[in-house]
Amino acid sequence: MQRSLITLLALSGAMAGVQETQAASSFEIADATREAYSRINTDAASAQLSDAFRGRSLFRQSWVVPPAKDIDIAGLGPIYNQLSCASCHPKNGRGQPPKNPLQAMRSMLVRLSLPGQDAHGGPLPHPVYGNQLNEQGIPGVPGEGSVSVEYREFPVTLPEGEAIKLRRPQYRFAELHYGPLNAGIQFSPRVGPPVFGLGLLEAVPEQTLLQLAEQGRQQGVSGRPNVVWDAEKQRPAIGRFGLKANVATLRQQITGAFIGDMGITSALHPEENCTAAQIACRQSPSARQPELSNAQLDAMLLYLRLLQVPARRNGDDPIVRQGEQTFTAIGCAACHVPVLKTGDFSPLPALSGQTLHPYSDLLLHDMGDDLADHRPDFQADGREWRTPPLWGIGLIERINEHSYFLHDGRARNLTEAVLWHGGEALPARQRFAALSADKCRALMRFLESL
Amino acid sequence: MKNLPLLFGLTVALNAYQAAAKEQLTLLTAYPEDVVSRYEIAFEHAYPDIDLAVLWRMPHDALPYLRQPQQGGVDVYWSAALPNFIALKQQGAWQKLGIDRQGLADHIGAMPLSDPDGFFCATEMAGYGFTLNPAYLQQHGLPQPKTWQDLADARYQGHLAQPVPSKVGFAPMMIDSVLQQYGWEQGWAILAGIVANARPVDSGATFITDIIASGERGIGPGIDFFTASAIANGAALQFVYPEPAAYSSAQIAITAASRHAEAARRFAAFVLSEAGQKLLFHPDIRKLPVRPSMYAHKPDDYYDPFAASSRHPVVYDPGRTLSRLALNNALFDRLFTDHHQRLQSLWQKLRALEAHADAGKAERLATIRGLLTAVPIDAEEAQSASLQQTFAVRAADAKAEADAQALEQAWHREIDSRYSEAESLLKQQES
Repeated sequence: MQRSLITLLALSGAMAGVQETQAASSFEIADATREAYSRINTDAASAQLSDAFRGRSLFRQSWVVPPAKDIDIAGLGPIYNQLSCASCHPKNGRGQPPKNPLQAMRSMLVRLSLPGQDAHGGPLPHPVYGNQLNEQGIPGVPGEGSVSVEYREFPVTLPEGEAIKLRRPQYRFAELHYGPLNAGIQFSPRVGPPVFGLGLLEAVPEQTLLQLAEQGRQQGVSGRPNVVWDAEKQRPAIGRFGLKANVATLRQQITGAFIGDMGITSALHPEENCTAAQIACRQSPSARQPELSNAQLDAMLLYLRLLQVPARRNGDDPIVRQGEQTFTAIGCAACHVPVLKTGDFSPLPALSGQTLHPYSDLLLHDMGDDLADHRPDFQADGREWRTPPLWGIGLIERINEHSYFLHDGRARNLTEAVLWHGGEALPARQRFAALSADKCRALMRFLESL
Repeated sequence: MKNLPLLFGLTVALNAYQAAAKEQLTLLTAYPEDVVSRYEIAFEHAYPDIDLAVLWRMPHDALPYLRQPQQGGVDVYWSAALPNFIALKQQGAWQKLGIDRQGLADHIGAMPLSDPDGFFCATEMAGYGFTLNPAYLQQHGLPQPKTWQDLADARYQGHLAQPVPSKVGFAPMMIDSVLQQYGWEQGWAILAGIVANARPVDSGATFITDIIASGERGIGPGIDFFTASAIANGAALQFVYPEPAAYSSAQIAITAASRHAEAARRFAAFVLSEAGQKLLFHPDIRKLPVRPSMYAHKPDDYYDPFAASSRHPVVYDPGRTLSRLALNNALFDRLFTDHHQRLQSLWQKLRALEAHADAGKAERLATIRGLLTAVPIDAEEAQSASLQQTFAVRAADAKAEADAQALEQAWHREIDSRYSEAESLLKQQES
């Protein structure tokens, strides 16, 4: 009952209610340093703290090409994108896109698929390249190719006359080692998103997401949960991880990244990521089976679940408060839901009953043609994206030393990010564009306080 | 179907485009992502025609990799692994670096920063010292330690976290620096006193910083950059370099088998250039440049090893005693790690008695102290090349392993006997 009330208050933009529910969670930490995304909840870790630290080491570990003496960290490739989790999630934060066509993608990747669905309703992998372009290969195994990005700027004029330039990315595949990509290829460039607070998101009950979808409908917002294939339970489930909410659990998100990004097998992905056409890849030895042991996976899972979220700052600043009111008034909070509450979470009871401030509903929303990747993923169509959490967004520049936002990093700052919103977010975007300079500044101050 | 018209809106070419051919350069390193990624980006910016591929291996795993045919395809080896560079030089694994060394230091005090034959050179340094938690020290009324000898003082009992050198990568040379600086017997005696004050730490170096930052302990002997980076990222810590300070250096070399020697040379020169050395100042790296002029532009409060060495010249030369590191580690474990709780109890009792000893007792207590600080082999034996080799190769040589175990068993008996005698003598003193 309380959960429903909190959700309703948040959705209706009842600021008094939001303020009341912003009691400090034990998973929120007053930290604005460059380590703010990397704080483990040591109280919640209790006797498992050393496991959590082991998970942290694994997250930062550069993996080794097999065969190797260090069998615990061997298994990179045969084809892969990067050597470590931290490559795409630096300091547990956001990656960034290349700045020009000469730069390689270092914290970004490109998903691939063909029109159609796999046996479980997910994207249909390309028969030769699979579901992700792995740009690198271990010695003796060619990487799959490379992608470069170039930007074309175009002007946007706001109602008060301010001219802003947005930049549209254009991607170019090159050096494709395994033959051309089909004309019907669907691809989706993705910058590595932050990884803190994922335990809290996992502990939000499915029922809350369903209620949010229903209440959104009443407000004219068409958010809906993605229904994906839960590979552990072998049944459909609501997705909440990944940029299209295309993964059901954090364990599956981790193992998917290990195999997809680094070529490291696990109990959930026991086969190397080589397609039938990739002969050298298939002939390369694995380090062991699986390369990521269950104990290592558990440690990584624990670490990510225990990562805390930086608490809001400057909440008493009148300009920040004004910006917060504007955020709600122009409709941002309809999808970027300020307050959620976790349910009972038996895998890590400390996550139960927590009030969190993700500024996300974890639902899919139509974001319009301009942001569309035209690559369906389970029930998410090519225009839909999961509302990304905004918590910690005000620290990105300090921690990750850039301010590139959106799924492909095309927005160079928060203003550009808002202006790219389309689809069902178009009315909010239009109201944003019509704000006075003072209100716009206040809104940005609010976002920077997160 | 609604997606089709825009399907190719984001791309200009899927298969026809052939990128300008880049020269592929393969780098083998053990640097973490924070370091590697910044050098990759900066080098790519400086040399967009060279594609840097990175392989990662810890030093013990890199050595066999570089001994493969064609040296595993590696062009450049860049790592804080001096023993590997020396061993591979002896096997003809390197070609001359052949880069301009103008403005680079050839040594810091007694420590060389370049191979005299020009096959490899240092690219950065890291210093050994003490991570401190100032709030913890204040809370416990402890003064800031300034020397290794200070750490062995009774007042620090229970306040230290000491890395176990056989388990923590940077610790063998740190331990060896104490032995070189203070001499074999006194060095081991100081280490015994330090261990008596410490909880052992047998996992990675970041754990030392965690332990000290959390306030579980107040002082952690360690290597500077973990702590310096933590401080630069907001941790309320401090790092103290003893005087004279000791350093470990990372080296760079070009493989003899490299087919991309000129590109390799460009990378090595870039790492040593002002642009490359400046990256070391980044808050997530915090290593010490080997180009002295860089310190004119260092961030506030950044340590300058060249200035420090002009005041207290560096005496530690790691290359002089590298061959004994494995022997040191074995001795450390047999002396201390195997008897940790027993030792702490013995030292506690000894120190309690020493605090109130009269002249008559002092001599007997000195005997007990001698039993707790003695080492089974003397300095001359420790210089034995065959003994050092036995411990260095034990992991890969069954006979050496058997010999090493036999020696360790003999040491164990001797050490156990000494500690038992100390226990007995302490009981007599207490009664």
